[in-house]
Amino acid sequence: MADLLVTEGLTKRYGGLLANDGVAMRLAAGEIRGLIGPNGAGKTTFVNVVTGIEHPDAGEIRLADVTITGLGTHLIAARGLVRSFQVARVFGNLTVRENLMVPYFASDRTHGTADGVARAIELLKLSTLEPLAEDLAKSLSGGQRMLLQACAGFMIPGVQVHVLDEPFAGINPVVKDTLIDLILHENRTHGATFLIVSHEMEIIRRICPRVTVMIAGRVAAEGPLDEIARREDVITAYLGRSFQ
Amino acid sequence: MFSTELFTQTLISGLMIGVLYALMALGITFIYSIVRMINWAMGEFYMLGSYIQYVAVAYALGPKLWWLAVIISTAGTFLIGYLIEPILIKPMHARAMERRDDYATVVTIALLLMLRSLAVAIGGPYQFRPETNLPIMWVGPLPMEGARVAACLCALLALALFYVLMSKTWMGLALRATAQNRVAAQTSGVDVFRLDAVAFGIGVALAGLAGALLAPLFLVYPTNGVVTTVKGFEIIVIGGIGSIPGALIGGLLLGVVESLGAAFISSPYQNAYGFALVLLVLMVRPYGLFGERGREA
Repeated sequence: MADLLVTEGLTKRYGGLLANDGVAMRLAAGEIRGLIGPNGAGKTTFVNVVTGIEHPDAGEIRLADVTITGLGTHLIAARGLVRSFQVARVFGNLTVRENLMVPYFASDRTHGTADGVARAIELLKLSTLEPLAEDLAKSLSGGQRMLLQACAGFMIPGVQVHVLDEPFAGINPVVKDTLIDLILHENRTHGATFLIVSHEMEIIRRICPRVTVMIAGRVAAEGPLDEIARREDVITAYLGRSFQ
Repeated sequence: MFSTELFTQTLISGLMIGVLYALMALGITFIYSIVRMINWAMGEFYMLGSYIQYVAVAYALGPKLWWLAVIISTAGTFLIGYLIEPILIKPMHARAMERRDDYATVVTIALLLMLRSLAVAIGGPYQFRPETNLPIMWVGPLPMEGARVAACLCALLALALFYVLMSKTWMGLALRATAQNRVAAQTSGVDVFRLDAVAFGIGVALAGLAGALLAPLFLVYPTNGVVTTVKGFEIIVIGGIGSIPGALIGGLLLGVVESLGAAFISSPYQNAYGFALVLLVLMVRPYGLFGERGREA
């Protein structure tokens, strides 16, 4: 499989803190990759830099062999790399349906409105949000907002990579399962590629064949979760030296 | 002293001028909600609109085509705002600046002084009045200057167009989304910097439209925007900043309170009644009638 998202030597400094130190990652098309690591390892920084929220100090990001380093967030989104936030950012005073239409229209207005409406209905059904379609998004629960945010990402025509930052944090088990089903559905039917940052090892084990571990701003290991979980350096980073 | 007839007449004239105040306030609140800044040069865009109206009527179109001149004035102020925003305001967002409010305040006050000086330099410190051929009209029992009735009707039309733009078009959806969450709009693929320029243009065009419509009544001179700007900000405080219904209701309320005060208390103090209303609202609801508690800039 061809590599869809490639980062090389990605470095981001905050004053004296090296949050990302030469991060190199390759994401194949159609892959669901987990990104794990202890708190402060630089996962969210990596996500921010890759999606253009922040600019890297050094390094390169390529999406489908095109350099996207330093582009604005909306341009990166329009090229098919979208992200979700740890705390769902939805448009509270728009209806659930309108929330879905914003990314659809924003990225590419050559697609017909009818296609967008049909896609929105499909996603509303899959995410079980359909009965709430005409409600304002601010009336949704935290988990429902997460679902809505993920669906908004799926609405962008021609989207290729979804970067989900802690999508399962603090949401109830039913919504969690709905979100997992949604991710798997998009992956299977549309070949969508995912990079999922999460601390929920059970879910990562279930849906991510491979994971990348970040420790102290660097990629420390990569491979199937069960294999990686046995590595000493990974255990040390998670649990501390004194544990051994 | 009190008569129902006088009361009705005052109410009507208050509502009519209130619609124009609302136009000003809507411009301020709209720019604030999208671009996240207060445009202190709002009155100078009002002034620009009135000058364009005067020049267009006096030198090109004549009083019969006043409505075409109004369209030109509005479009002209939109264009000026749309072109100025990327130069003056955009750096505030594009370079993750600290103390954005300070920056916006300084830049727009500088713009205010520049536009005002420009008006003095070009037109001189004189007052102008675009001719109007509109006859006296009867609004219910009330005879009114044609220009006043026309101004009110055009303002209502503009408000209706604004409503359609915001609720029925893709641009309106994107603007509403950006007003609620800039970062989420950006990650959805919305080019918020371009929307900033559009929103700034629309906001100042509302002021320019008010200036053009009121030019035959309140005249055209370099500082004619001051009073309407003050009223615009009074309305923002009354209605709550960032609230579009607040701007509309606040505008009507201010117009009515001023008219009633002038008719039934004492007319020289007309401008003071608005301030009294502001104080009253601040005592009861410090965040404005429609404002959200604890809203951050």
